[in-house]
Amino acid sequence: MKKFSEVIDYYYSELNSIVKELDQKRQKVKQKIIGWTIVLALAVVVLVWGIVSVSDESDPFGTVITLAVLGLGGFGIIYKILTKDYSTEFKLRVIEPLIKFIDHNLTYLPSSTIPQYIFERSKIVTQKIDRYSGDDLVKGVIDDVKIEFCDLHVEKEYEDSKGNSQYQTLFQGIFVRAEFPKHFYARTIVLPDNAEKIFGSYIGKILQSYNFGEEKLVKLDNPEFEKHFVVYSSDQIEARYILSHSMMQRILTFRKKVGHDLSFSFVGGEMFVGVHYNKDSLEASIFGSLLEYKIAKEFVESLYYSLGIVQELQLNQKLWSKR
Amino acid sequence: MNTFLILLGIVVVIVILMYNSLVAKKNEVDNIFGSVDTLLKKRYDLIPNLVATLQEYMQYEKDLLTKVTKLRSQALSASDDEKVKLEPQLQSALGQIMVAVENYPELKANENVIHLQHTLAEIEEQISAARRAYNQAVTDYNNALEMIPTNILANMMAYKPKELFSIEENERKNVDIKKLFANK
Repeated sequence: MKKFSEVIDYYYSELNSIVKELDQKRQKVKQKIIGWTIVLALAVVVLVWGIVSVSDESDPFGTVITLAVLGLGGFGIIYKILTKDYSTEFKLRVIEPLIKFIDHNLTYLPSSTIPQYIFERSKIVTQKIDRYSGDDLVKGVIDDVKIEFCDLHVEKEYEDSKGNSQYQTLFQGIFVRAEFPKHFYARTIVLPDNAEKIFGSYIGKILQSYNFGEEKLVKLDNPEFEKHFVVYSSDQIEARYILSHSMMQRILTFRKKVGHDLSFSFVGGEMFVGVHYNKDSLEASIFGSLLEYKIAKEFVESLYYSLGIVQELQLNQKLWSKR
Repeated sequence: MNTFLILLGIVVVIVILMYNSLVAKKNEVDNIFGSVDTLLKKRYDLIPNLVATLQEYMQYEKDLLTKVTKLRSQALSASDDEKVKLEPQLQSALGQIMVAVENYPELKANENVIHLQHTLAEIEEQISAARRAYNQAVTDYNNALEMIPTNILANMMAYKPKELFSIEENERKNVDIKKLFANK
């Protein structure tokens, strides 16, 4: 696998002409979007004015809100239509070459995703899933370890105080699935520790112990790890077999590098990682230049860290009996 | 009268909860020790084969091999608490043997020895995990024995604190067999 700096260099050298060309297209699309937004906004204002002056309703507030929502919906549709070609072109001409440069054996499927039943099996999210969407599936073998990842947005439906149906995000970010180098049979789940952050160590632990189903709280002997994560497992010994001292340290280092919350789970001989980016990571925004270092770095980081899990967590150091 | 009955009821419920929690903690310790014991037995079973293979070559480490054999037979007939005490010695002696193997090129290339080393390394990792789980369960149990108010009930139930597995830092280094292989 290439080094991080090499991938960034590749983006600014080999892909430079493509990035510049795409950035010009982006600016044209942006202008079109601004134009359409003005037209739409004017149409909404004119309609509102017309309706308010013609109708004899004493309170036209409801009508105004309905029109504004319709206007926003219209904007969403227009945005999607106008950016579709640019977005597809960006994925095929920038993201795919970047992936191939990191490792030429990898396969990239821009509109595919890891199936919902696999995500559910990982138990990274325990609530019922009502809406599941994703894209940008990357799969292949790195250092003899099978790995795949994709962008996911997982939501649950709920009713707000007015009885309207709303969606709440349960997970949004990159979801990685990889072979694990040790044999295990139980289920172990490692989640970001919010209870201890909010309530402190003692009360946090009491709350955590009532948190899960058949998986029981695992108290680990690494205070730093305990501060950032909460671990549940159906087998206390296997949880520690998976989360050895060195593995906990590697996970902490990886967390620091990524700079986002991480969830892990170890189920059926596989490891699952959820990187909570809280946005669609491999989408090019119309309003940010592809030439900006910050934006380029974000794309490269999302790809590099997802694939770098193999080396960062040493998943390639397989146990002798698993070779 | 009613207030008294309510208070009595609350006290009874609290005592039952404390009693159940103590029993659950004790059972958790016993349960995990069962797994530790199974893994230790797996390792004891490897020792005769290991000693038999190594003694032909290891002329200068005869004492070490005898020590491991002796520790193994002691451990096999030991009580749970004795096993916990013997464990660091046995682990350290096995670690020293593995380090000594490095001085014998013919042993390092021997298929049987390689197989034994790898098997031992895997069991060692499993034992390490089981020991950590056991230590956590014992800590929870011992804490309950010392903390108010569970200590009063534990005293009445004649529960005794249990020993933790202890490993000295230098011993831990000696037995890091996996690391030894990683350097090769």
